[in-house]
Amino acid sequence: MFEQRLIQLPFGDIVHSLSGYTVVLFAFAVMFVVLAIISLPEKPVDIVFGTDGYYTKEIPVDLMKFQRFMAIACGIATIGAITTGDVFNFTLFAAFIGILNVGIVAAVKNKPVLDAAFSYGLVIMMATVPLFAGAAIIGATCGTLSIGELMKAGIHAPIVAKLFLLVGVLGEGMAPFYIGKAEITRSPGAPYILMIHVSSLLLFLRAVEIFLMV
Amino acid sequence: MIEYPLETALPSQTFGFVSFSQVSLYQIGITIAFVAIAIAFSAIVREKDDIHKMLLIDLIEITGLVVIVLIATDLAEALILPGLVVGIAEIMVISELWLAKEELQQKHSVRKLDIEVMQTAPPIIGLMLAVYGIFLTGFSGGLIAALGLMIFFLGKNMDERFAAVENAAGYAWALWVLAFLIFMFIPSQWFLAVMLAAVGILLKVMAKMSLVGTMRGLNNV
Repeated sequence: MFEQRLIQLPFGDIVHSLSGYTVVLFAFAVMFVVLAIISLPEKPVDIVFGTDGYYTKEIPVDLMKFQRFMAIACGIATIGAITTGDVFNFTLFAAFIGILNVGIVAAVKNKPVLDAAFSYGLVIMMATVPLFAGAAIIGATCGTLSIGELMKAGIHAPIVAKLFLLVGVLGEGMAPFYIGKAEITRSPGAPYILMIHVSSLLLFLRAVEIFLMV
Repeated sequence: MIEYPLETALPSQTFGFVSFSQVSLYQIGITIAFVAIAIAFSAIVREKDDIHKMLLIDLIEITGLVVIVLIATDLAEALILPGLVVGIAEIMVISELWLAKEELQQKHSVRKLDIEVMQTAPPIIGLMLAVYGIFLTGFSGGLIAALGLMIFFLGKNMDERFAAVENAAGYAWALWVLAFLIFMFIPSQWFLAVMLAAVGILLKVMAKMSLVGTMRGLNNV
C-alpha cells in the first residue's frame, strides 16, 4: 500500500509523491479547500431560554474574510504535509497547520474562545521542540531526511526519533480538543472551523504513513 | 540513557552527516540537550502566570534548536532558519492573542519626536543610507537602505496609507521567486536570475523594514 507511488515530482533527492493511500487524503484536503472557498458563513441561532424566541448572530465581513483565508491556507499547508517527501518539511507543514488553526479560532473576539486559543497556542509552541528534535535526530543518525532515500536504503530511524515526531504531531494536531471546548458551542465560525478537524485528521494519517515507511 | 544506532546506521550511507570521530560528541551533546529540555519542561509545569509561560516556552524552543544544531553540518544551518522563523511566528501569534485576550491592545497613536534635529538630519542621513544600500543591492543593501528610510520616516508625521509600500514589497518578492524559477528551469540565464533576486530582495527588505519607521500604533499601519 505504501510503496506504490502514483505521482512523483522529484526535486533532487527529495521526491514529492502521492501513493494510493495519500492520494485519498489529498483529494479530501482539496475538497475541503474548495468548500472553504465557495461556502458562505453559517449564522448561528440562539434560542432565548424559557420562551419560543430566537435570534441569529450576524457574521462581520472582516471576520468571515479572515477565517476563510486562514482555512484556505490551512488546507494548502495540509496538502503540503501530505505530498512532501522530506521529514523536516513535514514538520514545518505541521507547525504551519498549528499556527493557522490558532488563527482560525483566534479571529473571534470572545474571552473564552481567546483563552482556549491561547492555551492551544502554548501547546503548539511546546510541540515544535519534539517535532523538530525528532526530524533532527533522524537527519543526524540516518544521514538523510528524504523519505524516499530512507526507504530505498532500508534504514530504520531510531525509535526515539519516531516517538518525538509522534509527540510533536500530537501537539500540533490537538486543535479539535480546544475547539470542541470553545468554538463550536460558543461562537460563529462554521464552516471554516471544519478545516481544523480535517487538517488534524489528515496530519495524523500522513504521520502514520511516515512512521511506517522510515 | 538512550542509545542511538549510529554505528550500525552509518556505514551504509552515501553521505553521513555525523562522522565516526563525532559520534561520541553527538551522544554527549544530545544527552545535554535532553537534560536541558527536561529542565525547561519541568519549569513550564510549575509556572502558572500566562506571560511567564510564554517567555519560558520561547526559551524551550531554543532547546529544540540545540538538537537541530547537533547535526553539525551545513544542513543544520539550513534547518535552523525555518525552525527559528516558525518559533518567531508562533511567539508573535501568541503574544498578539494574549494582548487581545487581556484587552491590552494599544489604541491611541504616538506622536513623532518633536525636536529640531529630527526635522533636519533624517532626510540627509536617510538619503545617504538609501543610496549606499541601493548600490550594495541584495539582502544587506536592502537592510541599509531600509535603515535610511526608517530614520526618514521617524522624523515625519505619517497620515497617508502604506498599502502601496506593502504592495511594492509583494511584487518584489514575486520577482525574487521568479528568479528562483529561472535558476531551476533555465539555468543558462543565471546572471539575469541573480540580478532579479538581488533587486527583488533589496526592494522587499527595504519596503518591509521602512514600515517599522512609521509604526506609531495608528490604524493604517
